[in-house]
Amino acid sequence: MKNVKWINVLIPVASVLLSLVIGCIIMIILGSNPFIALQYLWIGAFGNLTNLGTTLTRATPLIFTGLCACFAYRCGVFNLGGEGQFIMGSILACVVATQTGLTGLPAVLLSLVAGTIAGGLWAMVPGLLKIYRGQNEMIISIMLNYVATLFMGVLYTNWLRDGSVPQTASVPLESRLTKLFGLRVTTAFLLALLAGAAIYYFLFHTSKGFQLRAVGLNMTAAEFNGFAVRRYLLISFVVSGMIAGLGGSAELLGTQYYLINGYANGYGFDGVAMALIGQLHPIATIVVAIFFAALRVGSTTMQVVTGVPTSVSDIIQALVIVFTVAGLAMVKLPEFKAAVAKLTAKKEAA
Amino acid sequence: MEEILRMEHITKRFGDVFANRDINLDIRKGEVHTLLGENGAGKSTLMNVLIGLYQPTEGDIYLNGQKVRIDSPAKAVQLGIGMVHQHFMLVEAMTVFENIILGDTRTPGIFIQRDKMRAEIVALAEKYGLEVQLDKPITEISVGEQQRVEILKALYRGAELLILDEPTAALTDIEVEGLFAIMEKLTSENKSVIFISHKMREVLRISDRITILRAGQTILTLNKEDTSGPELAALMIGRELTPSQYDKKTEPGRQVISLEQVDYNKQAKHSGLNGVNLTVGAGEIVGVAGVDGNGQSQLAQLIAGVIGPDSGVVDLKDSKVAKFIPQLFIEEGVSHIPEDRNKMGLVGDMSVRENLVLKSTDTDRFSLRKGLFLKKKAMREYADEMQEKYDIRCASVEQEARSLSGGNQQKIILARELEADPDLLIAVHPTRGLDIGATRFIHDMMIEARDGGCGVLLISADFDEILEMSDRIVVMFEGQIMGEFPGKNPPIDEISLAMAGK
Amino acid sequence: MDLEFLGNLILASVRMATPLIFLSLAELYSQRAGLVHIGLEGLASIGSLVGFLVCLISGSPVAGVVAGAAAGVAVNMIYAYATISLCAEQIVYGMAINIFAPALAAFIYRVYFGAGSELVQGALMQAVHIPVLSDIPFIGDLIFGQTPMVYLAYALVIFTAIYFSKTKSGLNFKAVGEYPQAAATLGINVIGVKYLASVICGALAGIGGAYLTTCYASTYTDGNVAGRGFIALAAVIFGRWSAGGVLLACLFFGFCDALQIRLQVSSSDIPYQFFQMIPYVATVVVLGIIGMKKAGPKASGKPYRREER
Repeated sequence: MKNVKWINVLIPVASVLLSLVIGCIIMIILGSNPFIALQYLWIGAFGNLTNLGTTLTRATPLIFTGLCACFAYRCGVFNLGGEGQFIMGSILACVVATQTGLTGLPAVLLSLVAGTIAGGLWAMVPGLLKIYRGQNEMIISIMLNYVATLFMGVLYTNWLRDGSVPQTASVPLESRLTKLFGLRVTTAFLLALLAGAAIYYFLFHTSKGFQLRAVGLNMTAAEFNGFAVRRYLLISFVVSGMIAGLGGSAELLGTQYYLINGYANGYGFDGVAMALIGQLHPIATIVVAIFFAALRVGSTTMQVVTGVPTSVSDIIQALVIVFTVAGLAMVKLPEFKAAVAKLTAKKEAA
Repeated sequence: MEEILRMEHITKRFGDVFANRDINLDIRKGEVHTLLGENGAGKSTLMNVLIGLYQPTEGDIYLNGQKVRIDSPAKAVQLGIGMVHQHFMLVEAMTVFENIILGDTRTPGIFIQRDKMRAEIVALAEKYGLEVQLDKPITEISVGEQQRVEILKALYRGAELLILDEPTAALTDIEVEGLFAIMEKLTSENKSVIFISHKMREVLRISDRITILRAGQTILTLNKEDTSGPELAALMIGRELTPSQYDKKTEPGRQVISLEQVDYNKQAKHSGLNGVNLTVGAGEIVGVAGVDGNGQSQLAQLIAGVIGPDSGVVDLKDSKVAKFIPQLFIEEGVSHIPEDRNKMGLVGDMSVRENLVLKSTDTDRFSLRKGLFLKKKAMREYADEMQEKYDIRCASVEQEARSLSGGNQQKIILARELEADPDLLIAVHPTRGLDIGATRFIHDMMIEARDGGCGVLLISADFDEILEMSDRIVVMFEGQIMGEFPGKNPPIDEISLAMAGK
Repeated sequence: MDLEFLGNLILASVRMATPLIFLSLAELYSQRAGLVHIGLEGLASIGSLVGFLVCLISGSPVAGVVAGAAAGVAVNMIYAYATISLCAEQIVYGMAINIFAPALAAFIYRVYFGAGSELVQGALMQAVHIPVLSDIPFIGDLIFGQTPMVYLAYALVIFTAIYFSKTKSGLNFKAVGEYPQAAATLGINVIGVKYLASVICGALAGIGGAYLTTCYASTYTDGNVAGRGFIALAAVIFGRWSAGGVLLACLFFGFCDALQIRLQVSSSDIPYQFFQMIPYVATVVVLGIIGMKKAGPKASGKPYRREER
């Protein structure tokens, strides 16, 4: 039964390949040479340091929302509210960085802390409703995403509107996150990596992380074995929200600088997808997020040079998700397991 | 009397396990025929064959003298076989009326012909004395009424043969009498009833004939007039008694746990505790005998701290328990082999190694600074050691616990719980579904723990196991302790009667 | 507040509510068969694009709506296969549809019109004034002077209410969402009903999307579904899984939407987003604080497997 773990890696990889093949077929139908297109996709994403920097910048928020989903699901709670928590983090960071008059390092640190806390608190709502009222956390957290998005709208169109365009004031230059090596990518990316490493360490190398995973895999057994299940559930909500909130504040201070219509749109579901494709492993989630960001960034170059529209890349990304999720469900079916067992038995017999 | 059903040489095999072996059963028109047997005797498998959920490996079924093939539940319904499952198949959000007509194909048309259908149902209900309130939702009627709805549902579909699977399990005494009146009415109209039960009193009260199943085989079919409670109990439990191979202790050490007048969800006879008094001393095995579902699960969970009592006092090692939290009980030296190993005992998706150290990752042995860094190597070595000591058969301790056989899964739990060096071990059905080798091994380890001074509370529906292992035997019935008996030279007949509530 | 303002507001509410009604009914059929579907946003977007294109090419908004329905069904078959046959997690797969279908729609649009094309306008469905009835003062035109799609939406609500309460098939359908095992013992084809529900759901969601490009606005833009798929989810919860309740919820949410747009124009003191929030906040409050439990189909979200042992 060792092959089960193999399958967990095989399914996403096979899904990526299958999606790329379909992408290539589409390109051929559109009259382009898929190999040249893919080559420019690669160049656009990783071809030089500038492009690499852009890719990593685009990956950063996805890493955060991916880790947010990853952490929550490891404890068995389905937090679909990463986007709302990300936005609430951004909002608090924006308020601190533009409204308090603080600048420089104190502003940066306070913004990050405030954003993290805001994300955590926002995630607490579905957490508490799940634990104490038995409500479905997924629907509540989706609804709260919209509340957060609309609340952000209140800020940039009304309360914190700066000038005639509906957007907030920009974070002052001295309060922005440092750019690395003169590229677009900032310390936010390092924060994301750090968060990923910390989550990895916590989940797989500490006793509490071990217990949290046990709660996620079998809540009843965890309770019978003396773990404080409710506390873990709430903690996992809050911490996952904090990760998203930190991501939101880092995105605001490092990349976007102000709130505007469309800010963070789709990051939440993207993050869930990253985490699922990455099999809820924090490091794998980071890799997947970078891969998706590369597809997005590289596709612009591909479109400019070869005329293949960027939306082909969107299709490829969507197909990866569709195939992976279906594939992972398929291998869990008893029929599939029986078929695998039969095959291996035949092999052994031969 | 004319015969309605005959099942000949029915054998049903799952892999290498025989659930039914060469079973013969004949049911006559207008009789109540009881299937009597312990859990796992093969009653439900046989009934599932009859209603088309399973196909028999061998054997034939004759209905009204004609050979039939029942390949789906729909076919069974069509042939006039109806079953009232122990867990009712009722849609709670719908009314009684809607539940009865669900899936109806008898009346033509797209729309529900309320008046016509109603008249039909009311006529049926009156004929058989099935009092139901057609317009109430299922959630608002009593369990007894729900059962009548199930019976009506089967009759509405034209059932001639009705299977009632442990129908009295959830009923009050008055409701049981009502059910029996209905059963008598049914048989007087020449319908046949297969009654599944292990409650001796009821079996003797209502049956015309009784067939005893044991270990997947038919033992005997008897007329009610020709038998008695003790004889049936002996036949059901079976076997000549071999003396226990283990020494029985008669002098327990100081008490490790005591329950005094403990109530939990008292009204529920089958999932509650009613004024329970119980003690377990160091170095003794107290066996709790009884038919499944008489409060044993609740007793085990209460002593493990998973649920708290409504009233009464629980003393753990001489101090009164104030908070019922599993963690506190574990810290006080309570170990627990829970009744459902996959659901409650193991994290199936984790490895054998991780399950072995599930409770002890905070200890210095397996981590630095109280859990801040896990020592994987120490865990691995420990797991290898345990694999050897407890004879856990797996390719590697990194294998998922889910993929092991039941016996080896149970050994993981046993290892984890016994290595904690407990003062009290709660073992619930510790050998259910295991082969002889694994059973023997687990029994030996429990005796070893007892001899090491651990108090053991053994809860089992397997009467053999209770007799084999217990130094002291208590019997549970409907949430109450019915009596206490010595484990050495136990009075079998008395215990059997106590298990039947007498 | 003058009568004309009120009249316009009600008219706008009805217009806003119509796509929500289609989407909510789609969700209702899906959930009644035990399939929670958070991917309506995606289904509507593909329905919206295909409806627009077909309407543009054929010049017939009706053809557009039909094509939108077909597109919704086609995409929803992916969801159906994954969740019914492969037993994939419904929420996860709904989310996958929400990523996949809009990407597909955007792609088709780009390919068809080329990158950076100008706004293309298609035909719009004309209102049909029902004679006599639409002459009733004040309310006449509000109720009987709408596009056929509005009438269709209300007809579907009535049909659905009758279907679930008066027909045998509707009763069986509900049983599948409540207790599939019990339904199966009574000879109901559980898997078949779930697929049927997915076809209906896909078609209605596709129509809801197509409404946006053939009746509401005459063009397609990315993201034009604008969260209506999720409001539909809220409307089903709010309407307590009944056709009538869903209709009221949709009208209420439509009213919030219409009010919000008017406020945006008149720039009142209260930011209009607060009115937009009402559907979402109301759902959280209804679920969480009032603590509505066990409402809705009981087996919703759970996979159904045929074999037992």
